[in-house]
Amino acid sequence: MRRLITCQNATLLLEKQADQPAPRALRASLWLHLRYCPDCNRYATQTVQIAEWARASAATRVSSSVGLSDAAKQRMRERLAAAG
Amino acid sequence: MTPSIPVPAQWPDRYGDELYRFALSRVSAADVAEELVQDTFLSALDGLATFRAEASERTWLFIILRRKIIDHYRRQARATHVGLDEISDGGSAEADFFTPENGHWNGPQAPASWLQADAALEQQELHEILQRCQQRLPPQQGAVFALRFVEELSAAEICQELGLSSANYWVIVHRAKLQLRRCLEKHGLGKN
Repeated sequence: MRRLITCQNATLLLEKQADQPAPRALRASLWLHLRYCPDCNRYATQTVQIAEWARASAATRVSSSVGLSDAAKQRMRERLAAAG
Repeated sequence: MTPSIPVPAQWPDRYGDELYRFALSRVSAADVAEELVQDTFLSALDGLATFRAEASERTWLFIILRRKIIDHYRRQARATHVGLDEISDGGSAEADFFTPENGHWNGPQAPASWLQADAALEQQELHEILQRCQQRLPPQQGAVFALRFVEELSAAEICQELGLSSANYWVIVHRAKLQLRRCLEKHGLGKN
């Protein structure tokens, strides 16, 4: 049954479907594929996790103690003064 | 409350650190983040006449910085533009993951279970691994991934920003996810 669509097509469709609803027939094919393909089933979960982690990772990546150096701020002040 | 009048000379001290941290969370390289902040201030200075007091000065500067970050990704993606044929012919990237004869997972590339992924790794460690994996993506894939999943632009907006067709955009997203998934698995998530 999973030969209806390939794993390559199923995983591509999973990415598309996260943004735009697929036509009903394609959704049915994907559902059927996922029903019988444990690998793509795992991919379906993991691709959502990756997206969630990417957002969380960017939000927590830099410690609140990090800041511009005094020299960088001075350079910026000078550039602003020159441009203004 | 009386809206404050922007004082450009004070921006580096008042907002510099916060803007810099935001930029650094997106681009990783300190010198690039610093340049983005500086460009933000200079653009804000240019557009001072258009500043609307109903938005706070801080919010306004963040909006400008976000635009600068998107421009940065656009330059990154365009500097390494992948040709249409290279994308649409299925390319070598997919052949790495799927058997060309039948389009099914290529044995060792098939996703392993990540059932205990969250428990096995500290969040911080997980984020660091993901960040390293993102940095290893080809520049165009990295830019598209960041615009979609970090900046949360829509597919249509990204296509417009990067001059991509919808079909090419999806191939790039798919490839980026395949590579990231494999990289994460290789660095600890697939060992449960």
